[in-house]
Amino acid sequence: MPSLSFLSTVGGMILFTWDCVLLTLQRKTKWHQVLDQIFQVGVRSLGLTVAAGLFVGAIMALQIDLQLKDFGAEAFLGGLSTSTTLRNIGPVLIAFLLSGKVGAYTSAELGTMEVTDQLNAIRLLGASPLEYIILPRIWAVVISSFLLLIVGLMVTIFGGIIFAEVIGVNSLNYIQNIPRIVTVWSIVLSVIKSFLFGAIIAVVSCYKGYHAKGGSVGVGIAVQSCAVTNLILIIITDFLLSMASSCLQDIFKVGYL
Amino acid sequence: MIMTWLGRALILKVGEFLATFFLWISTVLSMIKQLLKLKFRARETLLQMYLLGVQSVLIMVVAMGFVGLMLIIELAFHMNLVLKHDSLVPAFSALLMVRELGPVITCLLLTSRIGAGIAAEIGSMKISEQLDALKMLSIDPIDYLVVPRWIGSVFAAVTLTVISLAIAIWGGAFLAAQKLGTSPGEYFNTVFFFVKFPDLAHCIVKSAVFGSLIPIVAAYQGFNCGSDSAAVGEAATQAVVRTSLYIIIADFLLTYLFYAI
Repeated sequence: MPSLSFLSTVGGMILFTWDCVLLTLQRKTKWHQVLDQIFQVGVRSLGLTVAAGLFVGAIMALQIDLQLKDFGAEAFLGGLSTSTTLRNIGPVLIAFLLSGKVGAYTSAELGTMEVTDQLNAIRLLGASPLEYIILPRIWAVVISSFLLLIVGLMVTIFGGIIFAEVIGVNSLNYIQNIPRIVTVWSIVLSVIKSFLFGAIIAVVSCYKGYHAKGGSVGVGIAVQSCAVTNLILIIITDFLLSMASSCLQDIFKVGYL
Repeated sequence: MIMTWLGRALILKVGEFLATFFLWISTVLSMIKQLLKLKFRARETLLQMYLLGVQSVLIMVVAMGFVGLMLIIELAFHMNLVLKHDSLVPAFSALLMVRELGPVITCLLLTSRIGAGIAAEIGSMKISEQLDALKMLSIDPIDYLVVPRWIGSVFAAVTLTVISLAIAIWGGAFLAAQKLGTSPGEYFNTVFFFVKFPDLAHCIVKSAVFGSLIPIVAAYQGFNCGSDSAAVGEAATQAVVRTSLYIIIADFLLTYLFYAI
């Protein structure tokens, strides 16, 4: 039963998150380890994020330009492509890449620790692996994914501007058009999305790595199921947040929020 | 100092890209050899089609259904903001779906579904010296392992893209009827008026290209897997990351090639 096992995974992850939140509230987080992990995980992914951001921005500018050409509304190119990228496509696509880079790296590392009995060695010493190994990694992945997503989203804007210059749209017109359509609420929404996607990547990858079993093949399986679960949860969360934003607009009767 | 570092990183990346490209060429060549000699590995290929394609259907349907719904909401927001009415939302969402998000998101999902698996499988075969055993039996690993996966993956990418496009557009019809008050007949009329045959053809070509990238990059990472216990996980990670980045770059290049030139 694939659906049943998916539900039990989600339940396990919620309990896992609850444990970690409790530990954090008891001030058990080792912040210097978190900083170490942020360097390990975050700084090494910066190049990938920048490359992905440039291409995502360019792709969206190209697509929106194609669609607007049919209606002669090219004046809106800058605003529409930036707004679409910031609100949806950018966070989703960059979070896909980060779930491959950051999430799979974390789950592979934790899975290797688990199958080579390093976590059991920590338990044998009377310490909790949740506190010493998992908690710093979770916080590091949350913080670094959030920051990387924000950087990636900023780079998408540059990608759009560069591409607009390539296809012969004046980049000044393009930039002037951005604040007319990108509202404050769009930016707040994309920041909320970035944070939640970072949290999803952190919890899923740590959970999957922590529960890996069965030798080096088990690590591969853990990485694979971590990546799939990440993507599905990111897409569903993205839909729910968009839905919530649109419902808020309907409730408060604002033309654009 | 930073220039040497950058230069070394660039040379490594380019070298890896070229090696992957040569693996792609040798896979295609050995597939052609199989076809010419009529020594087609039918059982392996059918098994891989089942494992890579059929078993991914559920994930694709769930994910792309949500993408279709999400696109309707977002485009309704933007159309209301710019054009002050939302009669063109179905057309824009279907066009964006067919031209861009359908192939890309399907193949990114397929990457993490099968790319990590292929890399882990071939990597653990290398660690346990099964690849050497194959060579001892004078079986070419590319011929025996990569070609069936390559055919299976291209097949899976194309069929899953078509299925997920259908699901996404159908889900969009449902949400448009609920939220915008567009009747399904009106919705499909607009969609069929704006989505032309070349769009669908380009969509199929794109997904075939992306699907042919996935097993090659994964197999390359698996063949170059180290020998300690951390290596398999590392190979699986690298396979997912590289393939996702290659897919996004290939998408940009293909879209530019199809539409802008």
